[in-house]
Amino acid sequence: MNRRNISLALLLLAPSLVFAELHVVIVEGLGGDQAYAEQFSAQVDAIEVASATLTADDNIKVFRTDTASRDAILSHFTTLESRLSANDQVSVFLIGHGSYDDVEYKFNIPGPDLTGEDIAASLDALASTSQLLVNTSSASGAIVDLLQNDNRILVLATRSGVERHATRFGSYFADALSNSTADTDKNKRISAAEAFSFAARQVDDYYEGNGQLATEHPRIEGERTARMTLARLDASRPAIIDVALAELITERDALNSDIDALRLARDDMALQDYQAQLLEKMLQLARLEDAIEAREGNTNGQD
Amino acid sequence: MGKTRRLLVGVSAAVLAFAPLFVANARGIHYGAVTDPALLSCDQQYWRGQIEAAEACYTDVLNSNTDAAIRAEAAWALGDLKLANQLFQRAMTVSPTDAAAKVRWGDLFAASHQNAEAMDIYREVLAEESANAFALLGAARVLVDRFEDAANSYLQPLIEGAAYNDGALVGAWLLVAQVALENNRYDEAEDALNQAESIIEHNEWPLLEVYALRAAADLLNNVDGGKWTELALANNPHYGGIYATPAHFYVITRRYRDAIDLYQKAVDIEPDLAAAHEELGINLLRDNQMTRARKHLEIAYAEDPFSPKAVNSLRLMDSYSDFRLIDDRPEAPGAVPITLRLHEDEAAAIAPYAIELTRNSMAVFTERYGFALREPVIIEMYPDHEDFAVRTAGMPGLGILGATFGYVIAMDSPSGRPAHQFQWGTTLWHEMAHVFTLEASDHLVPRWYSEGISVFEEWRSGPNPGIRIPMSVYNAMQDDRFLPIADLDEGFLRPTYEEQVIVSYMQAGLVCDFIDRHYGEDALRKVLFAFREGLKTVAAIESVLSITTAEFDKDFATFVQTEHGAVLEQLEDWHHTQTEISSKMAAEDWSEIVELARRLIAIIPQYVEADSPYLALARAQRELGEQAAALESLDTFWREGGYDPASLKRLGQWLVDADRKATAIKVLQSINLVDPLDQELHGELGDLLLDSGQAENALREFEIALALEPHDMATAWYRLAQAQHELGNIEMSQGYLLQALDVAPNFRPAQRLLLKLADQHSIRN
Repeated sequence: MNRRNISLALLLLAPSLVFAELHVVIVEGLGGDQAYAEQFSAQVDAIEVASATLTADDNIKVFRTDTASRDAILSHFTTLESRLSANDQVSVFLIGHGSYDDVEYKFNIPGPDLTGEDIAASLDALASTSQLLVNTSSASGAIVDLLQNDNRILVLATRSGVERHATRFGSYFADALSNSTADTDKNKRISAAEAFSFAARQVDDYYEGNGQLATEHPRIEGERTARMTLARLDASRPAIIDVALAELITERDALNSDIDALRLARDDMALQDYQAQLLEKMLQLARLEDAIEAREGNTNGQD
Repeated sequence: MGKTRRLLVGVSAAVLAFAPLFVANARGIHYGAVTDPALLSCDQQYWRGQIEAAEACYTDVLNSNTDAAIRAEAAWALGDLKLANQLFQRAMTVSPTDAAAKVRWGDLFAASHQNAEAMDIYREVLAEESANAFALLGAARVLVDRFEDAANSYLQPLIEGAAYNDGALVGAWLLVAQVALENNRYDEAEDALNQAESIIEHNEWPLLEVYALRAAADLLNNVDGGKWTELALANNPHYGGIYATPAHFYVITRRYRDAIDLYQKAVDIEPDLAAAHEELGINLLRDNQMTRARKHLEIAYAEDPFSPKAVNSLRLMDSYSDFRLIDDRPEAPGAVPITLRLHEDEAAAIAPYAIELTRNSMAVFTERYGFALREPVIIEMYPDHEDFAVRTAGMPGLGILGATFGYVIAMDSPSGRPAHQFQWGTTLWHEMAHVFTLEASDHLVPRWYSEGISVFEEWRSGPNPGIRIPMSVYNAMQDDRFLPIADLDEGFLRPTYEEQVIVSYMQAGLVCDFIDRHYGEDALRKVLFAFREGLKTVAAIESVLSITTAEFDKDFATFVQTEHGAVLEQLEDWHHTQTEISSKMAAEDWSEIVELARRLIAIIPQYVEADSPYLALARAQRELGEQAAALESLDTFWREGGYDPASLKRLGQWLVDADRKATAIKVLQSINLVDPLDQELHGELGDLLLDSGQAENALREFEIALALEPHDMATAWYRLAQAQHELGNIEMSQGYLLQALDVAPNFRPAQRLLLKLADQHSIRN
């Protein structure tokens, strides 16, 4: 699949976010011991695989522990500055341990650590108006004030810098990116909101199930979190979209918008009326999806 | 659920086992521990039931210029424990070497349930005066009331004369009598009471506590204790202890309703007897009489705010607002209603299985023991183990997983314990057997036999049948730790080593197994009914089995040797090999592990605990790429009774992959009797059931999954839609589909099913 067709497919299949390209930066921090090193490595693998369902491999930069130096990372962001336009999307994932001394947050990497200021400055310098930062480290909540803005979604493993224990959030978040249970709206995509919701619940369940006080409280900040796609669960889309298919897709998307509008109006409607209209639109949508699948030549009836 | 609320006044949950016997008043009869003439004059009035006069007398002493220690006694007698404490502190400041006053201060702490502080004081005194009789007595009392064997070390010097004081000796003999009665050693109790009585009469102290214990002895032997009651009340018409003391023995022999009647009489004649109100309340709660229970617990709390039992019980009752009552009342004539009290968050998941299992147990036990239940059964399950502990407070050696009070069962909920340690279904089966043995014998069955039947029925008819002996019990068997049958109750009541309670459970189970196999099922019934006739263990065994208990013990030992001797002989090898497996695991020496695990399995094929060799074998085989063999190993683990949910879920998946879905279903269903709160499991099981044409059962699983609030609601609704569709309930199916699509409009499987419904059933579009 070449970049042009991916772009076209994504343009037509993901109308909720119109962007030119997605660039992903994944940093694997120092594990400290073998167990954490393996966990972080597995999380990075999962995020890389997920990112590959959305963008070309060239747009994904992974800094494994042995290459994750401050200079190299900052240098890459400098490169991105010149490449990204306002319409481009950038997603940054920091997977590792963090620390906070009540003054400064640091993400632990070999050599000089990446500070909260470094991260903020790097992201602020990018033209992209659609940014995502996922930081699964301990004390990651310390950077929320530095990084919060209208163009940025933040997913942080802790609510503040005070929560300094190693977190479990990262593993659950990485798992969400390929887990159909996390895809609560069943659109075959995992959004930032869905991944966060899945992981946050797993964190809660873990501490409650083990009878422990939670030492981490993940948080998500920013607008449009439900529309920021982090992974696609079904990458088997056609390379070529003909006119007829494009029309069907447009019709489906319009119907989806109608359905969204109906759902928003639910509280102002009588239940029976709402259900009747919903049924009608769902039947239409189902038939449209059948037609789209038939057009795509997808005879596999399983999902 | 608020675990911290259970901790009060520095008293830990363990001390909730404290069940005071001498409940006359918080101060009790001191038998010469206090010698001040003015105070003694007040005491004499009090002991004769002249309450108003006594209170006036104590008030005069309190307001006098006498020693702080004497005034402390007066404050204590008037019920002002805080003032009493302050005065004792002052007394210690003025006369720090006054050992008598210091011991009384310790007695004050004991009376206000602060046993750790009391023991510290007694130990301090004994460090200076090792033969201080009243300090020895105080320590012994605290330990006896906790059913701790360590009391003996304090009692012996008193009994044997190394530390001599008439009053302390009386106290010691009374304790000896109490313990003897608790262990059914009536002759020994009689001797001790005679000793106490002669010293009391010589010193002209009141005989009230002797009368109370004699009344208890008579009632335990089913003799009318009226003579002693008359004597006591003639001495002191307000002596509630004459009823409360025997009531204590009724409680520990699980005759709760009899205990309730006596505690009620106790508070009728001594309305401010806080401990009796407390025990009355707690036992009313065990009989599901909630309103009366609350009333007496509130009185107890008002009278004695230091006691954690009353307040914990009241808080437990308050927490019932978080629980749901679920009734199962079949219409069939004679069917016994079942009521479940389950936490709101878990009720939907547990209730269906609990009801089914309870009904099955009723059918089995009704037929086997020839006894039909007469009242509704109440089953309570507590997610917070501390709540369960409150229910069993004051009951020595009671089950750590569940307890039965007659028609009321209290037990841990599946969520109250780690899943790999606790099979709630088996525990419920065990407790239901107790309902039958208690009720069929009018609560006269001794503890050991009721436990023995329950364990035996777990093995024979329970949801996970098969005899499985924990390794700690094999170790005890090897050390020849089984008790003579005549003494088996002591293993539950006053364990002398850490594992003795579980060892006693298993021994009791094996005894019943032995009786069943060598004398027949009818003999088990006959022994139970012999207890109902009032026979004790020795007489029951002799009468039903026509064998002395000494002969029985010998035959039983032979049986144990025959059945388990081979295992016992290889026990050391087993332990050694088990240790080897651990080190081979660390080294990932999978081939070696296969060989070692097989060796262990050959020794004890039914060993399925968390460290079972089957699990090591399956893992090693999988690592060696022998998937089919690994599946068979895990399958055998399950068939032998293994219940670890994680292992069984893995087995379930392997069976599905191997297209052995029927077995996979059974495996996953068995997990519900260990961990019914796994909503993913219910979904997966439901899918399999639906796939195999069992739509009704699938629907139940899906309903439970939904009740557990899954993360993926769209799939949960969709599954329900599928099941309803299979059952032909089209409207319901459509309703669920709309719910799924409302959450996830692009959910293709739900869309397809909706179209199918529309096409098949002309749904308007």
